[in-house]
Amino acid sequence: MKRKIAVAAALAASLLGVAACSGGGTDEGATSATGKVDGAGKTIKVWLMVDAETSWKDVVDDASKRFTEATGAQVNVEYQQWANHLTKLDATLAGSDVPDVVELGNTEFSKYVFSGGFAELNKGDFENSDTWLSGLSGACESEGKVYCVPYYAGARVMIYRTDLFDKAGIKEAPKTYTDFLAALDKVQTGNAADKKFSALYMPGQYWYAAMSWVKSTGGEIAKQDGDKWVGQLSSPQSQEGLQRWVDMTKKYSKADPTKNENEQAGIVAQGSAGAFYGNGWEQGVAEETRKDPNDPNSALVPTKIKGKLAAAPLPEVPSFLGGSNLGVTAKSANKELAAQWVKYFTDSKSMEGLVKASALPNASSLMDKAAADNPKLAPAALSAKNSWFPPNAEKWADVEKASILQTMLTDILTGKKTVADGAKWADEQIAATLNEA
Amino acid sequence: MQAVDSRPVQAPAPLKTADRSGARRKRDTRTAWLLSLPTLIILIGMLGYPLYRMIVLSFQNMRLRELFSGATPPWAGVDQYAKALTDDVFWGIVARTAAFTVVSVTLSVTAGLGIALLMRRVHAKVRIFMMVAMMFVWALPQLVAAQAFRWLTDSDFGVLNYLFSKVFGDEWLNHSWFVNPWEGWAVITTLVVWAGIPFLAISLSAGLTQVPKELVEAATVDGASSWQTLRNITLPILKPLLTIVTTLSVIWNFGLFTQNWALRDSHPEPVYQTLATYSYTQAFGRSLYSYGSAISVITVLLMLGVMVFYIRQMFKIGEVD
Amino acid sequence: MARHDDGVVTVGRSRIGTVFANTGGILFGLVMIFPVYWVLNTAFKPDAEVRSFTPTFWPENPTLDNFRSALGEQHFLPSMVNGLVITAMAVAAALVVGFLAALAIARFAFYGRKAIILVVLAVQLVPFLALLIPLFLMLQGVNLTNTLVGVALVYLVLLLPYTVWTLRGFISGIPRELDEAAMIDGCTRAQVFWRIILPLTGPGLVATSVYGFIQAWNEFIIINTLNDPNHQNLMAWLLYNQTERGTAWGPLMAGAIITSIPVVVFFLIIQRNIATGLTAGAVKG
Repeated sequence: MKRKIAVAAALAASLLGVAACSGGGTDEGATSATGKVDGAGKTIKVWLMVDAETSWKDVVDDASKRFTEATGAQVNVEYQQWANHLTKLDATLAGSDVPDVVELGNTEFSKYVFSGGFAELNKGDFENSDTWLSGLSGACESEGKVYCVPYYAGARVMIYRTDLFDKAGIKEAPKTYTDFLAALDKVQTGNAADKKFSALYMPGQYWYAAMSWVKSTGGEIAKQDGDKWVGQLSSPQSQEGLQRWVDMTKKYSKADPTKNENEQAGIVAQGSAGAFYGNGWEQGVAEETRKDPNDPNSALVPTKIKGKLAAAPLPEVPSFLGGSNLGVTAKSANKELAAQWVKYFTDSKSMEGLVKASALPNASSLMDKAAADNPKLAPAALSAKNSWFPPNAEKWADVEKASILQTMLTDILTGKKTVADGAKWADEQIAATLNEA
Repeated sequence: MQAVDSRPVQAPAPLKTADRSGARRKRDTRTAWLLSLPTLIILIGMLGYPLYRMIVLSFQNMRLRELFSGATPPWAGVDQYAKALTDDVFWGIVARTAAFTVVSVTLSVTAGLGIALLMRRVHAKVRIFMMVAMMFVWALPQLVAAQAFRWLTDSDFGVLNYLFSKVFGDEWLNHSWFVNPWEGWAVITTLVVWAGIPFLAISLSAGLTQVPKELVEAATVDGASSWQTLRNITLPILKPLLTIVTTLSVIWNFGLFTQNWALRDSHPEPVYQTLATYSYTQAFGRSLYSYGSAISVITVLLMLGVMVFYIRQMFKIGEVD
Repeated sequence: MARHDDGVVTVGRSRIGTVFANTGGILFGLVMIFPVYWVLNTAFKPDAEVRSFTPTFWPENPTLDNFRSALGEQHFLPSMVNGLVITAMAVAAALVVGFLAALAIARFAFYGRKAIILVVLAVQLVPFLALLIPLFLMLQGVNLTNTLVGVALVYLVLLLPYTVWTLRGFISGIPRELDEAAMIDGCTRAQVFWRIILPLTGPGLVATSVYGFIQAWNEFIIINTLNDPNHQNLMAWLLYNQTERGTAWGPLMAGAIITSIPVVVFFLIIQRNIATGLTAGAVKG
């Protein structure tokens, strides 16, 4: 009870604080993205993640151009690295010179919405907002208000070596999970001579993948019970999924149980893997490498497995729906301009550009067209139809930060803990983290 | 190369006789304080005040919300300390940090002393080679060294696994060094000891030049074994220097951050957390600024004994007058 | 007892022992230098050799591509400039401020001197990272996060105690008789300072500033917490440079070499002073 009062007091205090800082005329209600704003002489600052720079810079430029034509304001885009962007964001949002628009991963947003970091927006102002992918927009919503706009999504697919599958007598992508395992079996046997060969490359801390297996047997990570979160990994369904993932990984993967998926495309490109589970675009990364890895415009060089990969949804395993959202910061001095820029950057025209660059659009209504326009995107678009996302808890980002799932996965994969013990430990940690006052 | 500053600095006697009046002394005191003032202001403002803020913060509950809004965080009393002190994870980290410190300092000081002694027995050219190798290692920035070790021990492309697989067999091909915490900590300890040896070996070898040759020769003539000579002559003379370098190593290694942070790719798993990384992760990763501060305060308190010992030692050996 | 040509006195030791010692010494040196060699080796390899399951112990197709790649990365050169600016500001300020205090401690007998010495010694031991949280909040409160000045200020505090302590040693090393003679000749205290102490402390100032440079140049945790990507130094770049395939080890190692060069060069120049300075009571950050 006492705690609740404290929270309420802090909430009230901070709302006052935010209002005082924002200084804009309209500090109540949602920021509109539709009105006519004269932005001449103004520049808005936009923080996007590095993916936009490497894969669809033209879309950013085009949206900015249309925005400038409409409002007269300039746009200054800065690209951030995933590794440390949250620390940077905290430091920056605490100050007064803040970016006006910020991109965050969909699982990261809740914490910032709850902490008063982002301004309320008017959902109806944005195109396709009635069919936004709920895996993205879930994190934007709090008590019926909307604080961010879905930007793009990615769904995981199975990317496999057509030549090796062919040689093992598998002519088309497996249709059932049993077929999938049987295929791995054959590929594994056919390549036993290669000491480093993994029929399926599956790094041990790839929790997006492991949790997909949990979902495949009807399991859950955590669920809300009243105002408390309860870890669900110990449930029989979840344990079954974990066990499935562990059995498969132990049998078919030689990947490092302490690595995550960051380097997987580069490792698979060495030729010692039959398949891997990745974002649609990772197929391209595995087949071709930049001559200069630090220069997104440098020439593409084919790898050993160029032209030997294909992608398909992994049968019976729902995909994690990753992706990003865009928010307008609460302290921004140009909220309306910022919202307008977001509007242009997430409209149907921009989404078409993203689809060309093999990212999934932000709304389900665009999905079929995306698959038709870009055949490379079809498996991912299909995969996105059967997808899941992490618990929409305000402290979910802390669970990721604390490496709880990653640690559990390494432990159960290496036999340090049984699946039951690992799941129990993770449940305790997750509950403690999500329910922390 | 002198290891211990051999000229003990005398307290500056007040300048010569003639006008050794009270007025002069007063003026000296004023000038001296004026000269020290900028330093003191900076130290108080940027060290004293933050220290105070840290202590205050540790009794509050500051989160992201207060950070963004600038509102005063709610008072939390000793909650943060209670939370830390009743948490097994926290005690595990204290124990791990302490154990790592003891092991790594013992290993590095022993190795440093061994190398220093070895350097006295080898050919001049070999000695120069050893010195050059150590100089490069010493000069290498900590983070570069840590990244180099991350690359050496990479499970897919690391040269260490390649060499091990040639010697011990194919099961080392994809070996992951951080699955087993003992192996992982062995890598971290190796890195710390490797990087620490140059400072220790070079200082101690300089210290060894101060052991009078006559004493050693006399002992040998009297039939003392090398071990006896080391124990009864060399080590006692080296003792003040050994104490200082050991204390410094304890202080540095207890604050381990860079090595485990970089080797675990900026997100150390629970078993690879030390007090420094844990406090950092709590504060800047999870936005528990107050809890992170409480852990920092506890860390400083734990270190206090070593620091007092160090300063007393400095006074004792006449380094400070 | 034998005296060898290298001048080392070996007492009653066998030839075999010496052979063992020499072999051990060479092995030790090789093991020590191997990681450094591997950094160099990696930096000069083309990507295909870096990311290869069978590493080569010599670049078969040596290339400078990795260096080009690192230098061309958009944040690399700006980070280098930032690092230089921050370091210069911090070192210069520490030198000026620290010199005055060192002068007071070394040349004046006054009430409170011991207390100042104690403070200077003690603050060198405070684990600086522990103060990062309040420092972050303080700097953010005065809008100095995401600035070079803010970080330089923090580094100044990091360097100051060491600077005072080392310079005190150098000033004490100047014979007091020189001061006294000059004063008998009619010099004022200020003149003694400008004409005698400052010139004679020259080498000490160089050594101290180079050491300060190394400390500030090598720091990455503080700057990474306080500043955004546009206000980073090269160390932070080294920690976080990532590509879509994870860490690009070739360019990273090339970047590491570029970053290390000034440090290694400076270090080798002043290594004598460092060995003395550290054990004479100063602390390596």
